[in-house]
Amino acid sequence: MTHLMEGDVSDSAMTASVLHESPMEPSPFLIPSKKLIMWLFIVADAATFGGLLFGYGFLRFGSPNWPKPFSFSPNIITGLVMTVILLTSSLTMLGGVAAAQEGRRAATMKWLGATALLGVLFAVLHLREWSAMIREGWSLTANPLGGTVLFGALFFSITGLHLLHVISGVIAIIVIAIGFQTKRLTAGHVETTGLYWHFVDLVWMFVFPLLYLLNVH
Amino acid sequence: MTTMNASSGPGMKVYVTVWLGMLGIVAVEAALAAAHVSGGTLLAALIVLSFLEAAIALRYFMHLKYEVPLLFWTLIPALLLAFLMMNQFWADSARMNTFRFP
Repeated sequence: MTHLMEGDVSDSAMTASVLHESPMEPSPFLIPSKKLIMWLFIVADAATFGGLLFGYGFLRFGSPNWPKPFSFSPNIITGLVMTVILLTSSLTMLGGVAAAQEGRRAATMKWLGATALLGVLFAVLHLREWSAMIREGWSLTANPLGGTVLFGALFFSITGLHLLHVISGVIAIIVIAIGFQTKRLTAGHVETTGLYWHFVDLVWMFVFPLLYLLNVH
Repeated sequence: MTTMNASSGPGMKVYVTVWLGMLGIVAVEAALAAAHVSGGTLLAALIVLSFLEAAIALRYFMHLKYEVPLLFWTLIPALLLAFLMMNQFWADSARMNTFRFP
């Protein structure tokens, strides 16, 4: 037998409350909770990238012998191609979200497939660029041009974290696309993944000018 | 009753226009770097253009324009404040220039 203390609510009273009204108030942002969680993640991740880029600026400004290793061709040209690829992948992602919201599963698969393919292309170009720099003698602790070694440390750290986001995004897009095709996941999942992918694009809009264009000799 | 449908975007025509505009901004950034604009001017221009691109991406690609304004006011000013607080360390960076390591 259950003895209720003063202030306790009986099971029957709680059940009645649940039956008559929702126990949770509606979201003040009028968006699903998974989308709000993605926004909170994006803000936290933006602060992480912001901290890294401010740290880069801090060390660059404080280092009198900062190297400028990039030439317009091929480095900046490659960076521009990567930027166009990533921007275009945002456009194909928007196509995927629109198709998913309209319930067009085949079209959603095509758009998301194109987005994942562009993400892979971006990653391949990035790794190709990295391997060329490593062959020249760049590393986290080495600078073949002489002067401070901080450029390599910051360049590989910041672009590496961004590349990790791209690779994670490609995996997420593939998983979501398969889930949506097999009707296990909804258009809301596609939209939330799209939000993440646009953020990855947005971060590159800062990484490319600050790490590449400011270091052209 | 409150509905929480996925926000509907403006359509592919608008997205393509925005995409072209962002490509244009990237082209301007690259042109400034190719023209060997002086360091301080180039840095200022690139930061302004990057924030412009970010604002466009947030509004159109990430649909912030089509959400309730409360979402923007909850998330973005706090993030900008965090960046402004990080901005207070520049003076110490200038001091690093005067360090002499053994």
